[in-house]
Amino acid sequence: MNLLHRIPFALRVPLFTAAMMILVGFLASQQVLSTLRQVQDTRIRELAQLQVEALSVALGPLVSRHDVWEVYDTLVRATGKNGGRKEGHRLVFAAVANPEGAVLAATDPHRAPVDSQLRALTDGAQDLHALSVNGERRAIKVLAPLVYQGREVGQILTEMDVSDLIAERQRVSRYLLIGNALATGLLAVFGYLVMRRMLKPVTRVIERMRESADAPEPIAAADMPVGDNEMTELANSYNTMVGAIGAKAEADRRLAERERLVSLGRLSSSLAHEINNPLGGLINAVDTLQKYADRPEVVRESTALLKRGLNHMRDVARATLNLDRLDHEGAILSIEDFRDLKLLIEPEISRRQQKLGWDVGEKIDCRLPAAHVRQIALNLLLNATEAAGPEGRVALKAHAEEGQLFLDITDSGPGLSKAACARLMGEGERIAGGGVGLRLVHDLVTGLKGRISCQRIEGETIIRVELPCCRE
Amino acid sequence: MALLPAMPARAMAPFHLGLTPVFLDNDAEVITRLRDALSEALEVEVALEQRRTYEEVTALLLEGGIDAAWLCGYPYLQHKDALALLAVPVWNGKPLYQSYLIVAPDSTARGLADLRGNIHAFSDPDSNSGYLVTVSDLVRMGERPEAFFRRTIFTYGHRNVVRAVADGLVQSGSVDGYVWEALTKAEPELTARTKVLSRSEWLGFPPFCCRKDHLGTSRMQAMRRAILGLERSQKGRDALALLQLDGMTEAEPSLYDGIAARMRDIGDARQ
Repeated sequence: MNLLHRIPFALRVPLFTAAMMILVGFLASQQVLSTLRQVQDTRIRELAQLQVEALSVALGPLVSRHDVWEVYDTLVRATGKNGGRKEGHRLVFAAVANPEGAVLAATDPHRAPVDSQLRALTDGAQDLHALSVNGERRAIKVLAPLVYQGREVGQILTEMDVSDLIAERQRVSRYLLIGNALATGLLAVFGYLVMRRMLKPVTRVIERMRESADAPEPIAAADMPVGDNEMTELANSYNTMVGAIGAKAEADRRLAERERLVSLGRLSSSLAHEINNPLGGLINAVDTLQKYADRPEVVRESTALLKRGLNHMRDVARATLNLDRLDHEGAILSIEDFRDLKLLIEPEISRRQQKLGWDVGEKIDCRLPAAHVRQIALNLLLNATEAAGPEGRVALKAHAEEGQLFLDITDSGPGLSKAACARLMGEGERIAGGGVGLRLVHDLVTGLKGRISCQRIEGETIIRVELPCCRE
Repeated sequence: MALLPAMPARAMAPFHLGLTPVFLDNDAEVITRLRDALSEALEVEVALEQRRTYEEVTALLLEGGIDAAWLCGYPYLQHKDALALLAVPVWNGKPLYQSYLIVAPDSTARGLADLRGNIHAFSDPDSNSGYLVTVSDLVRMGERPEAFFRRTIFTYGHRNVVRAVADGLVQSGSVDGYVWEALTKAEPELTARTKVLSRSEWLGFPPFCCRKDHLGTSRMQAMRRAILGLERSQKGRDALALLQLDGMTEAEPSLYDGIAARMRDIGDARQ
């Protein structure tokens, strides 16, 4: 069945049709041969009956008189052996016995000598009324009582040559085989072509779906089936479905964009704090510079403070810019991306007075799109800080192992709500809000053919993301 | 034919000649030629009457159903008081023939004594060569035919005896030596499936007979002359050639003394 199912539908149905044609041909042949066999049996029964009746009439008085010679002479004439065997004679052997079974005479006295027992020859003999031409035997034996004037005066064993009937059956079988093979072959090809033509609209739909699995295209108006309501309905349904898929994809894209913007919005307030906090110190440093411009050590300290503050602000700004830029450049994930992530999440951590655990190592040996991984990790970290609450713990562990990148985001919060878990796992309906971009995380992980799992261990929630990747 | 109108009405009636299966009884051409030859010589239509057994032909002759018959020496002698000899065929220069005892070619028998327990074919119970010779031989051996052979059958034809032996229906047969020899020329493939185990002494050839009281009639004398003169006409010679006979001759009853002796032996044994 598996093999059958591996054959394409568009081929399977025509092949099934062809197979049915062959089966019908085979059954028809069997029916013809069976009928022929019945006709032959009837024919041979009638012939045998006539022959036995005729012999009974001729032999009856002779057998009654035990006239060996006359019985023999009559049998020989009946088998056409008088003066040599004649071709085409059906009766090839006959033997007559008295009621006690002793042979009176036979056409071949060497085979059935006078006074020998007839039963030595009756193996395989058939009854006259149940005579049948079976198997490949060229001759059949018939044993019948010899009745004369209503009295059984002996028995007669006849052997009839049925080689012509066997040959006829073989000839018919051969012709049937050739004829049916040709006819069913032609019908099978015809059936195959007709079914192919009938199934063309279905085939077209299947091909469209196969060719454009990500973004199915509608069937063009020119290719729409004409004059077949069911097939037209199928094509229309397909086109409607394609439209619905397109609309849904667009809605998903917009939702994902919105979720990304929500993440950025969350980040922006933290970043504003991150820039605003040193800004007071930097303004103070500028005031100090203006006030103590003639004191070189104060100028040196103030400019150093200014430089550190500005550098930090530059790093924060660059990390934020990278969030958007890397998406467009298609950059590969590197350790720098995790540094940026840390830079981006730290203001939120410090704002909530939380502790951040960061275990990324020196190198990430994995080829994955940087923008997607950053978005996944950032969304999960933002959710973790939200879940952990003031003075909570948040940690990220990233490592590549056996062709996979593992991201473990841990928080000391009370755990994900059912709704949040459903969004993260891609279950249920897509509803915006409640958790920062968890649905987006699910979609990105699914797009990268990855897997998400969530578990609670010793009061901590650990969300693990596994992403298959290529080694660099 | 110019004499026909002058002949008496009785002479115009067909002459009925009986035939026994003494010769090639299945050969329609032989019968036709013989009838034509005799009709031409006799100038009267000759009707050949065939019967299955010697007994039937002899009975017909004795009761006057037929005018004459080609009989065998044995029935002639059985009814010697009522029958007279018209003529005797000449075969190989003599009016004599033999009886043959025949068996299958692969038979190991060396004589009649070796045929004990066989199924044996006789031609006719009134045939000299096809019955009397073998039976009288057995009598001379002190045997009874019905006990000597396991089974005996009558085929009512010398050719049938040859067929019965050749086909293996019986193991041995008693047959007219003249018929067997004639068959070796006409149907050599048939006689080749038999072999002659023994031959009898020369005995009188089966004669043409008529009732004694008819012998003196002009009609019978005309027939006698027609038979004796067969070799003088072309049709007669053709018929004789087909019968493989040299001609016809007059004969005395003493020609059948050999057969008579065998009849006496049987008669003695039955007493």
